[in-house]
Amino acid sequence: MSTSSLACRVGSGAGFAGDRIDPAVRLVQSGEIDTIALECLAERTLVPAIKARTDNPHAGFDPRLERRLTPLLPAAHKKNCRIVSNLGAANPVAAGEAITKLSYKLGIKGQRVAALQGDDVMALQSQVKWIRPITGKLIGAHAYLGCKKISQALEEGAHVVVTGRVADSALFAAPARAHLSNLEDALAGALTVGHLLECGGQLTGGNYEPIAGATKPPPLSAHDYAQLGYPLAKVYADGTADISVLKDAPGIVDAITCTLQLLYEVHDPARYITPDLIVDFSNIKFESIGRNTIRMTGAKSKGLPPTLKVAGFVEHPGFLVDIEIGFAGEGALARALNAADVLRYRLNNWAPDTISIDVVGLNSVLGAKSKPHRGDPVELRVHISAQCETAMDAQSVEDEIYSLTLSGPAGGCSVRSEKRNRLEVLDGYIQASSVPSQLIWSQS
Amino acid sequence: MRVGDIATGRSGDKGDILDLSLVATDKASYELLHKHLTPEYVEKMVYPALKSKVQRYEVPGLNALKFVFPTALPGGVYASMHAGLHWQKAAIWFLLDHEFNPQ
Repeated sequence: MSTSSLACRVGSGAGFAGDRIDPAVRLVQSGEIDTIALECLAERTLVPAIKARTDNPHAGFDPRLERRLTPLLPAAHKKNCRIVSNLGAANPVAAGEAITKLSYKLGIKGQRVAALQGDDVMALQSQVKWIRPITGKLIGAHAYLGCKKISQALEEGAHVVVTGRVADSALFAAPARAHLSNLEDALAGALTVGHLLECGGQLTGGNYEPIAGATKPPPLSAHDYAQLGYPLAKVYADGTADISVLKDAPGIVDAITCTLQLLYEVHDPARYITPDLIVDFSNIKFESIGRNTIRMTGAKSKGLPPTLKVAGFVEHPGFLVDIEIGFAGEGALARALNAADVLRYRLNNWAPDTISIDVVGLNSVLGAKSKPHRGDPVELRVHISAQCETAMDAQSVEDEIYSLTLSGPAGGCSVRSEKRNRLEVLDGYIQASSVPSQLIWSQS
Repeated sequence: MRVGDIATGRSGDKGDILDLSLVATDKASYELLHKHLTPEYVEKMVYPALKSKVQRYEVPGLNALKFVFPTALPGGVYASMHAGLHWQKAAIWFLLDHEFNPQ
């Protein structure tokens, strides 16, 4: 417990667009939180959304919106718990209207939805400084907004706030923002909590292998992972927080799981850059204060960032193909290695950096640093990825794999082939004062 | 000694950048890893599977080290030439599986 007053109780309902739906519902039903925040928008998730909006001005939000919110809206209404999510994707205003319609359909009356508009900076692209020159076709540009307007919407009575591109941590820090002390370090603490919560189950024992030692927790079973509780936090006015998981939910919240998530993808831990503040994690402390409960202290502000980050989406001509063929039964290893060599003969006119041939089961993940195999694997897949300028080139690589079934080592089987467009995410920066944002309200 | 005997870790990424975190079991293990896993050592250790310089960050208060490889994932996740998407989620085993002499 902190001696500081409670600013908010926030839960993490999702860590990516396709995340599980039931953990958020369980958190809301528990009554242990006042706000549930759901992170549903990876960088590239915006690309299909931008294309959908181009075809239909009422589309472009997360296509899972109805499936995700149908069980969540009634539970949140009953427990007086607010919802914050970036599932507005490329069209938060249309998402807000869709949520209001859905609530009406579910019999929820008087629910206020605020949509945050303004992250789309395609019209302001002349003001964006890109880290590299644009070499293809720019199809979208979205700035990462901060938590200020989301907080404003909540304070003005929004039951649901839906956004497009905002910093993931902003979704979770927003409910605390208006209830923090005036110190910048308090906001730094709330943003740190946001960063800890933004990946859902990755804070509570998911994607985590405990190590030996006195503090090693018992491993999670398949049933535990299947029912993994997602995290929640009590954030105090001074920016400290208690991080936990529901008492009856499986999970691990300890100093190690918190440290792994704190450091996840931040590069320099002394300069975690968000639209609201640059946060210094150097002095963070995680202290156990009960079963699966960690007290976090020590977040520090390093001041405002000079600019907002922009994600630009650049299409390049051509395709990347990713194809596999399987081998099984006695001698599968020798036949798979032989098949990989056949492909190297057949495709020896490709530039080495445009093609990759390896064997799934031996070296397709860690490549040259894969560990030597012990015993002969009984099933393997030969894999090719190739950068193709044209659809015809892509077809020719796929045909070489299929030709192995008639003219290669015995038993080539179970072919799988994927082809994807070549798309680059290009970072850029824009002055925050150049990016106006506003709230668009609707009510059921 | 295997790094994974005294530390756990997690892989992350942003665009072209691979971002690995190691958390040691205790202060002594942290000091050992801090001494052995210099940026130059790690850069050589993962070559040629990863072709990138390494920037190391230290968080002694949490017994943690970070290794950031700015050009390890050219073109980002979707430009990967590995089978399927997100191979880099396993990249932490470059570090965890590494055997070194603690002397």
